[in-house]
Amino acid sequence: MSLAPPGRVPERAPDSRPASGPGSGDPAGPAAAAAPRKTPGRGDPGASTDPGSHAAHGRPATPARRRLLTRGSFPYLLIMPAVLGFAVFKAYPIAASFWISLTTGSGDEQRFAGLANYERLLTDPLFWTALKNTGLILVVQVPLMLGLALLVALGLNSTKVWLRPLWRLGVFVPSLTGLVAAGVMFSVILNRDAGLLNWVLSLFGIDPVNWLGSPFWARVAVVLVITWHYTGYNAVMYLAGLQGIPKELYEAAMVDGAGPVRRFFAITLPQLRPILLLTVVLSTIGTLQLFDEPYVLTGGGPDNSTLTVTMYLYDNGFTYFDFGYASALAYALALIVSVLGIIQVRLMGERR
Amino acid sequence: MSHHLSRRRILHLATASAAGLGLTACGGGGSGAGAGGADGDSGPITVWSWTTAAEALRGVVPSFERDNPGIKVDVQDLGNPAIWDKITVGLASGGKGLADVLHIGVDYLPGYMQKFPRGLADLSKLGADRHKDAFAEGLWPTVVGKDKAVHALPWEVNPLGLFYRHDYFEKAGVDPASLTSWDDLIAAGPKIRAATGAQLLGLDKPGTTQDMDFFQNLMQLQGAFYFDHEGKVTLASPEAIQALTVIKRLNDTGLLADTAGQGTWKRLVGQGKLATAPYPAWAIEYLATKFPAQSGKWRVMQPPAAVPGGGRSAIVNSTYLTVSATSKRRKAAWRFVEYALTKPAEINRMFASGGVFPALKSAYDDPKFSAPHPFYGGQQVLRSFVDSLHAGADATNFTGDYSRALKLASDAQSQVLVKGADPAEALKAAAKQLAQQTGRQQAA
Repeated sequence: MSLAPPGRVPERAPDSRPASGPGSGDPAGPAAAAAPRKTPGRGDPGASTDPGSHAAHGRPATPARRRLLTRGSFPYLLIMPAVLGFAVFKAYPIAASFWISLTTGSGDEQRFAGLANYERLLTDPLFWTALKNTGLILVVQVPLMLGLALLVALGLNSTKVWLRPLWRLGVFVPSLTGLVAAGVMFSVILNRDAGLLNWVLSLFGIDPVNWLGSPFWARVAVVLVITWHYTGYNAVMYLAGLQGIPKELYEAAMVDGAGPVRRFFAITLPQLRPILLLTVVLSTIGTLQLFDEPYVLTGGGPDNSTLTVTMYLYDNGFTYFDFGYASALAYALALIVSVLGIIQVRLMGERR
Repeated sequence: MSHHLSRRRILHLATASAAGLGLTACGGGGSGAGAGGADGDSGPITVWSWTTAAEALRGVVPSFERDNPGIKVDVQDLGNPAIWDKITVGLASGGKGLADVLHIGVDYLPGYMQKFPRGLADLSKLGADRHKDAFAEGLWPTVVGKDKAVHALPWEVNPLGLFYRHDYFEKAGVDPASLTSWDDLIAAGPKIRAATGAQLLGLDKPGTTQDMDFFQNLMQLQGAFYFDHEGKVTLASPEAIQALTVIKRLNDTGLLADTAGQGTWKRLVGQGKLATAPYPAWAIEYLATKFPAQSGKWRVMQPPAAVPGGGRSAIVNSTYLTVSATSKRRKAAWRFVEYALTKPAEINRMFASGGVFPALKSAYDDPKFSAPHPFYGGQQVLRSFVDSLHAGADATNFTGDYSRALKLASDAQSQVLVKGADPAEALKAAAKQLAQQTGRQQAA
């Protein structure tokens, strides 16, 4: 223990959450919310590696080498199952899929084809249609949903709302619904002639909308269903973020005469920045991988207006048995997701 | 010493993982498929099927197990469409985890045979050829692979019929015998609608389910399909254009209801809003059990021709039992398939328990194929479907690229029905894309 370098936080130090101290009046506002989560992670391995090397020095060399379970190796043993699981179930399929993306043919007659699948991708109209649809849903749906989630979270956070637990439950329940179940449910609700939604609209004298049958409304329907499904999930994350904001900041701002709008933009939003970034990145990835809802709701129709990249990928793999091309699609999608993710982190996380 | 060991171990690990990569790379499968199989003729076997068919198959098990001591049969209902993913994944991984006996539809069978040539057992080695002439015309070519090996036995066949509301036709003064082509039906449709408020038939206009049976039927009635018998693309043939034109005319005259969405078709029929249903034989019991309140109101007739004076019989689709090549008990599996599908008594028992319309010709000698059906006002409905089969239908070449063709045809149909596109233009674009995607030629 005494070998720990000066300044490093020792194991279970009482001050292991320094930045969270609300009284510190820390001007580096945005960092405060993230700091408490980082500290324990950084402290633990350091604390346990050092005593390990200490033990090796103090004892004869051979038995120490033979011993599998030392204080130094212990953390590695702990993470071993996860690493093994990752290697077998993630890393291996990822590598194998890359290899498959370089082959062509169908079924079990595959031959090496170099980059032919990737070239084909560039000239495939259906791939571009799918990408355009996915991009459109991304641009329209993610801001809409996250904005809505923020409003909901602000409402749920307010002490003026009665029966808050009940409201919170109600907001979160849609995210617990199975994706396919949600799709089936909405295909009944959105049915043109006998659906619930058109019946409600008819009460206001609005003509029935062909929700699933017209290219425009089918896209709206998909956006509607995803928004219904994931808003509560994001709202709960925002709510957690809101509750982590020190009240003293608001008190100080009120003393300085800041109104509610000013407090929202000067305190709430900056403090929520890490969580906002998280939800934006997660929602972007989720939307780019959109599959279940349009698959159940519209089957990608009408005329491919709701076909997404993953649906097209699935069709190529499991309906047309074209595994090489499906793998190439997967890699193209992975590339797009990574690039977008990096851009978002750069843009939104710059001040951290 | 320890250095040496660890290096060897590393080399060993490297080779192992490289081999693993290679295996997967071969597509799942590569040369491995078939290698794991054996011709065991006793022990437990499993069968994959779905819903009513699985239940019917279970009915065969007691007598089969009695006649074949030593074989235990476990019939599993995987559900449709889940079964296709399970079979595809199994075949793609070299046959791992597949059941011994697989129930496969004609929409998947040629694809599996073509793309996983070592995935399904060669049944001719086990004696399948002796049943060559036992099944309805047009089915045998679909079970023979490129290698001339037999990979399946036909179980179910679905000849096309036109179910219609007898009471509506009477009310509108339309004589069904006078309707020999879809032209006639399009002419009679407005009369029926005026008298009863019902539209002629329902179609999933935006193509959410890719149910293209009606379009395919109209092609099949003309002896045509997406591909000809050489496998060339015929999606833009005059027959295909005629088929889509009939659909467009039905839509333009307001005779086509939109049945997109879960259960819409069922609801419309239940409410009496559809006057006809161009459906195959499986619909006989389906209509009778789903709409008992409409008993006595329905009848069946030969489907009208797609072009005036044209053919009036078609086989919509069919399903098969196959044996996986990796099965450890191929002989036992084949014995079950042969027992279930070539004995008239067994096949009719399955049919009676709500199963599927048999492909086995000798099954039709059973008196129940001439029995009057109360739901259809005492009409001998089964006999009319058997007659339709005797009239002969052309074999349909589904090919291994059926699902791509289906997708593109579905897109073309919804372009016509939702966006008002021209049938010929839409089909020409679809055919071009189909040829491009599959590397097939377009027929002249």
